[in-house]
Amino acid sequence: MTPLAISSYTTSNAAGIGNAATLRALRGGRSGLAPNDLDWAPLPCWIGRVLGHRADDRVEFPATLREFDCRNNRLALLALEQDDFVAAAGDARRRFGPQRVGVFIGTSTSGILSTELAYQHREPQTGRLPAAYRYETTHNLDATTEFVRRLLGLTGPAMTISTACSSSAKVFCLAERFIRLGLIDAAVVGGVDSLCHTTLYGFSSLQLVAPDVCRPFDVARRGLSIGEAAGFALVEKAGPGSAAVQLLGYGETSDAHHMSTPHPQGEGARRAMREALDRARLEPAQVDYVNLHGTATPANDRAEDHAVHEVFGAAIPCSSTKGFTGHALGAAGITEGAIALLCIDHKFVPGCPTTRNVDPEMRCGLVIEGRDGPVDRVMSNSFGFGGSNCALLFGRAA
Amino acid sequence: MMRVSIDAVGVLAPGLPDWTIARAVLAKQRAYLSSLLDTPQPVSLAPAERRRSSPTVRLAISVAEQALRQTPLLPQDMAMVFSSYEASGLITHQLCETLAGSREVSPTQFHNSVHNAPSGYYSIAMHATRAASSVCRGEWSFAAGLLNAVAQVIADEVPVLYVCYDSPLPAPICDVMPVVDATAIALVLTPGNGGASLADWDIAIAPRRGASTWPDWIPPRWHANASARGLAALESLADPGRRFVSLPLSPELDLEVTRC
Repeated sequence: MTPLAISSYTTSNAAGIGNAATLRALRGGRSGLAPNDLDWAPLPCWIGRVLGHRADDRVEFPATLREFDCRNNRLALLALEQDDFVAAAGDARRRFGPQRVGVFIGTSTSGILSTELAYQHREPQTGRLPAAYRYETTHNLDATTEFVRRLLGLTGPAMTISTACSSSAKVFCLAERFIRLGLIDAAVVGGVDSLCHTTLYGFSSLQLVAPDVCRPFDVARRGLSIGEAAGFALVEKAGPGSAAVQLLGYGETSDAHHMSTPHPQGEGARRAMREALDRARLEPAQVDYVNLHGTATPANDRAEDHAVHEVFGAAIPCSSTKGFTGHALGAAGITEGAIALLCIDHKFVPGCPTTRNVDPEMRCGLVIEGRDGPVDRVMSNSFGFGGSNCALLFGRAA
Repeated sequence: MMRVSIDAVGVLAPGLPDWTIARAVLAKQRAYLSSLLDTPQPVSLAPAERRRSSPTVRLAISVAEQALRQTPLLPQDMAMVFSSYEASGLITHQLCETLAGSREVSPTQFHNSVHNAPSGYYSIAMHATRAASSVCRGEWSFAAGLLNAVAQVIADEVPVLYVCYDSPLPAPICDVMPVVDATAIALVLTPGNGGASLADWDIAIAPRRGASTWPDWIPPRWHANASARGLAALESLADPGRRFVSLPLSPELDLEVTRC
């Protein structure tokens, strides 16, 4: 495929709000995870929290968009305000016209927290939800897409992709097709997922949440740490003078195996990575680093290791950055996409800060301590419930 | 503008149990008569999966199976795009009720709550391993999902199964999301030149021209259903006098569908 230029990108996650803070954490090997301190969800686990416990996470919600006010959209707003992203989107709006810029956002649970809270405060007599509760602009999966679109003043085609933990990786694929077909000239893609009861208690019910911090690929790994995150990227046709970093390829497949556990040999994951390489017309040896999905559940890491080893062997450096950010679910794709771009822009490979003893069964080229060095091409994996797999391949412009 | 072939159609709604009856209603050869919808059990789902699945999952798979029966194409060869306004419906309600009380969420309830549960169950049932997407665009979900599916047909030259569905919600959440009837539509879309298709559609994005209206025959109680817009779109396949249908895509845009 013809590469897409990534003119601007930003990530806000538990390890850092904005690219610079995230980069400092990745370089310094500092995890953003902490013991769960949510008084509204007192579960014995660790979380990757962004909102509500730091001075730098306050956002002024715009008065004209007050109806969209909820945790998920506050997180979206916080991320949009970093790295001059709003200005970059405004520039695209002027260059192409607002109707020629699409908005594609991935999320798994959107602002479901608003509905969870409304169900806790039903009117005792009638059982009705509180009058102040709004579904359409907070909980509906499209609420954040519509919020972002209005905030940025973009009127091109927009939609939400919700394929669980691959959601905000797949938005890149959608944007590439729309741009290739000339339906739009550029797109704001991204992902937002915020902490809520549904995922904290839901993943706990599946016994997939670690009591301790998540430890990807560790012999003692016991599950994931749920995080929240938001991130965005501005993608457009590559041309002379366009951005130095690009989307080179992508692959999307289905496991067709099980709703909540991966194919044991990572068959769908392997095909997604192969497709991404094929679209980019690259050989595995031309990839410098693989950012693993690496959730730290026993089954996920084992399956992914199998698939990555089959495609890349043991020589290509791999790591999971979930130990920095936690698993941001529907926002994992954009979070790790932005991390991949940071690795290319700043020439380094991050490690796995919470992993102590690598599982001897693992055969892929796991990097535990981050290191500096040239990184020109990065594969980023995202896999989700329903057997939804997406691999993205980013690189420096040739 | 993009051109795709419609190879097969599936329809499920009260009074519209299949495409044959729906086509006659849309062609004005018979009046629309309301009746209860008895969603057929999906035959492709293994009994264990069927038990675990939600009514929304069964609705989506059932309407897809109906379309698949009318095409020689295999589901394994198709990419998949599913779309819904509020996919989880009943599950969202049950989950939020549990979370407001004991918080003892069941694992099945949780994995059924993801928006892509229907496409996940479907891909398992059919052993369909190509790309699967799950789209939401609020009340504009039908047109957005169709646009996504058509773009994939053209860009990757691959047949795509497109399914759009809405499943009823219980009280109290139905106060804010008033889906009262289940409606669903499935389309098998191909790059064309197969010769076996029902018709070709030209699809284009256009600025919105005034408020979008509903056809008279569509019961007003379906106006909260994004997939009911799909039923309106089928007029262009059934009614010889109606080649052009405009579907709302956003507050500013329409998706224009023209039968060639």
